Amino acid sequence: MATGSDRTDVLQGTLALMVLQTLRAMGPQHGYGIARRIEQVSGDLIALNQGTLYPALVRLEQDGLIKAKWGVSDNNRKAKFYTLTRRGEKQLATETARWSKVASVIDRFIKHAPAEGDGQ
Amino acid sequence: MTPLRRFIARIRELFSASAIDQDFSEEIQSHIDLMTDDLVRQGMSRDAARRKAVLAFGGAGGVEVTRESVRDARGLPIVEQAAIDFRRAARSLRKTPGFTITAGLTLALGIGVSTAVFSILDHVVLRALPYPDAHRLVSIWEANVGTSQGTSTTLAAPGTSSLVIANDDPNRLTVAPAAFVDFKARAAGFSGMAGYARQQVTLTGRNAPETLLGEIVTPGYFDVLGAMPSRGRAITDADQQAGAPPVIVISDAVWLRQFNRDPSAIGATLTLNSKAHEIIGVMPPNFESVSQFMVADPIAYWTTEHFPAELLAHYADHEINVVARIAPGVSEDQARRNLIAVSEDIARRSPKTNENMRAFMRPLGADLTRRVSTSLVVITAMVGFILLIAIVNVANLFLVKSAALRREVAIRFALGASRRRVVTEMLAESLLLTVGASAVGLLLAWWLKGLLVSLAPASLPRLAAVSLDARVLGVSIGLAIITGVVFGLMPAWQARRTRPIDAMASGTRVVAGAWVARWRNALLIFEVAMSTVLLIGAGLMIRSLVTLNNVDLGFRTAGVVAMAVNLPPQRYATQDARFAFFNELDARLRSTPGVEGVAFANRMPMRGSWDTGMSIDGPGGPGPFVSVGCQAVNIGFFNTLGIELKRGRLLQGTDVNGSEPVAVVTETFAKRLLADGDPIGRRFRRDAKLPWITIVGVVSDIRRDGKKYQIDPQAFLPAAQTQLYPVRLADIAVRVNGDDGPVRAAMRAAVTAIDADQPIANVRTLDEVVSRDARDQRFQALLVGMFAVLALVLATIGVHGVVSYLVTQRTAEIGVRMALGAAAETIVLSLVARTGVRVLAGAAIGVGAAIALSRYVASLLFQVPARDLVTYAIACALLIGVAIAAAAMAARRATLIDPVKALRAD
Repeated sequence: MATGSDRTDVLQGTLALMVLQTLRAMGPQHGYGIARRIEQVSGDLIALNQGTLYPALVRLEQDGLIKAKWGVSDNNRKAKFYTLTRRGEKQLATETARWSKVASVIDRFIKHAPAEGDGQ
Repeated sequence: MTPLRRFIARIRELFSASAIDQDFSEEIQSHIDLMTDDLVRQGMSRDAARRKAVLAFGGAGGVEVTRESVRDARGLPIVEQAAIDFRRAARSLRKTPGFTITAGLTLALGIGVSTAVFSILDHVVLRALPYPDAHRLVSIWEANVGTSQGTSTTLAAPGTSSLVIANDDPNRLTVAPAAFVDFKARAAGFSGMAGYARQQVTLTGRNAPETLLGEIVTPGYFDVLGAMPSRGRAITDADQQAGAPPVIVISDAVWLRQFNRDPSAIGATLTLNSKAHEIIGVMPPNFESVSQFMVADPIAYWTTEHFPAELLAHYADHEINVVARIAPGVSEDQARRNLIAVSEDIARRSPKTNENMRAFMRPLGADLTRRVSTSLVVITAMVGFILLIAIVNVANLFLVKSAALRREVAIRFALGASRRRVVTEMLAESLLLTVGASAVGLLLAWWLKGLLVSLAPASLPRLAAVSLDARVLGVSIGLAIITGVVFGLMPAWQARRTRPIDAMASGTRVVAGAWVARWRNALLIFEVAMSTVLLIGAGLMIRSLVTLNNVDLGFRTAGVVAMAVNLPPQRYATQDARFAFFNELDARLRSTPGVEGVAFANRMPMRGSWDTGMSIDGPGGPGPFVSVGCQAVNIGFFNTLGIELKRGRLLQGTDVNGSEPVAVVTETFAKRLLADGDPIGRRFRRDAKLPWITIVGVVSDIRRDGKKYQIDPQAFLPAAQTQLYPVRLADIAVRVNGDDGPVRAAMRAAVTAIDADQPIANVRTLDEVVSRDARDQRFQALLVGMFAVLALVLATIGVHGVVSYLVTQRTAEIGVRMALGAAAETIVLSLVARTGVRVLAGAAIGVGAAIALSRYVASLLFQVPARDLVTYAIACALLIGVAIAAAAMAARRATLIDPVKALRAD
């Protein structure tokens, strides 16, 4: 498990992407649930200050990508649930495609670098 | 992402800020609860779980930081912050009500009064004439430039009668038509020149006979003014030819009243003075001719008259007013020089009549507004002063407050308050105060303007259209806000230079404060000086107005009803015919019950004038011509108007045509024109061809033109000696005992009984004219008095504020002194003395300034010297007295200081 110093800060844009993807995969979820899921999926490589999640949620809501509604959690606690809007789904698809492209380009560069101890 | 969408969302969030906040609190709480539950399920104790959940938000205090960052993401922080700042500013201002109310009131009063009064004055005095390029229009007149033996009499060309425009220069004459023709043809630099004269006619043949006021103009009059008929055509040269059919251009009001705006009016005829005039055009509704600025009654028509050859043969008959337009590219000086050159040429060619006669020119705007009241310009200056005083006052108040705050601000900085935060707070306070006061000032201006308009006498034209002047409003509000900002931020600026330790030091004599103290004293002295000048100016003007009000006219106005009967020359062609009419009217009216006396003349005093040049017979032969005010009057004139006989006899029944031509003159005539000796028996005449008139009596002086005008030599000729005077009898007046209603009716009836078609006009008591003038003066006095009071109030506030501050600042010192046994009175005295010295200095400077400015005011005062000692003394005494009283009142607070508390506080 990565220690605190290895954990990287999460950029706002990528956090937004992760939130959207989480909602898409899990359906409506409350703030705590989203945070827990992001930590799980990232394999604890990401230090998620729960506090940074909420400003991101606010911004996503202001942009109309998610919407919020109060509901009840599985253990009967009142919680505010977020769902993906249609606009959010479209944005997610766009962003996902972009990331894939970026990832594959970087990937290619990494694969083409000469490995250590390669023969002459 | 989508910035607009986000922006709109944030704006919406502004409105439910607190609900959103509450919502988020619940959400965070829910998050913590859920996480706690989870951790408990994993085996932690509830307490430990809760603690971990809270820490998960980013360490200690993370929840608050989250809350902050969410808040920052929501709403518009700037707007919210501003709202917070202003709420805090409001609270702070409320905590110092003395400062807030005083400064706010000062600003509101200064802005409100300045704007309201200036708006009215600007509209009345300074607005442009309603003609295109009005600054190129000028008035032209003629006047004598010589004087006789260094006395104040003036040379007037022989045989001149002048239809003088009402103005303040008794030497001014209208232009002779021959001279006008010359000027127009030969003076270069004018794109147009036209003559005009007022005329009154009787309209008959449509409904009831009506008297109409109109202008006789030369062709090109409308062109010069830059106006055009809205229908039909203007007057042309062809219309002015001898024998051309009479034509008129009518006003829109007449078109409406007589023809209901029927287009077929063009070509119709109106019968004026029994002569048919063809209507050739109609002027637009908003057109005002030049004469309209000088009379209240509407000008109904414009016509032209041919100048007969005899009239153009000599330059002595001064009859028309002239307005001209300077050509583009020509300067006023150039045009003037050209004009004078032509008049000099006329003088060379006709030395007998025009040797000393020259042409004069002046911008039309200045000429017309001169009548309204020259003191208005001074009042404008006063308006500026008031504004300045108010601003200085507020600046001083802010300085006082800043000194008190200096410590607090320094401490805040020392404790780490952000500079921006503190400055923003002070800025918010200043802005709130000044903008709020400005808003109140605006309301005050609007209300005051309404009040002043309702109080203004009817003679001030078209006040209903006045709107608040945007310039003054802008300038005054701008000044207010700048003052508030600059002086309101003083504490922050000062604190920058002060080390916190110094500011927090007990005792108040910090070096940095000396700078403030010097400014404060300077401002106080400046303010007192300006208030002094204002008070002196106001005092002089009020005195002048009171003196004017009390002036004796020399004739009765109470209960005297005057009526104008303009006999049309077509039916009353000779002086004898007119005299017969008035004589009969006189007889009829004398027998009417309630009538105590009947007078008739060419015009009653204050309703018109006739000045002419007279040559006086002396031991060395006929003297040079001097200007004399004349009237042709009936026998009952003097008795009816209460004019006292001083020497000799009054006119009597034997003074008729055929008997010796006689006249009665006034005392000034005798004193000024007849040197020594008995005036009875002396002679004068209008022209060498006319008989000598012998003086048979001397009466007391009358102010023929009203209270404002100086007393001039006057002569009264018998109306019966019709050969002696060229003017037409036209006014009759009756002194009434009791209610004048039935007498007015009787007057009308008497006229109709003699001539059924004869209309009458201008039925007014002489008192009405006097009281109209009196109302004018009272209005002015009101305006001026307002400024005086305001200046006093502002000065008082200023002094009071300063002394209050001193008391507060020196609380400790005072406490010490009192503890050591000093009496309260001594302390009060010393405080008052300190301030008193400055007040005296300010008053002294003010007096000096007033003396320096006195010559600008001198011409506006009536029989009051510009350096009138009494006024100066009263103004100074008032100001100093009030200031000292204010200081004493504020200083009294010092006596309420408990020495023990004073020493402890600090």
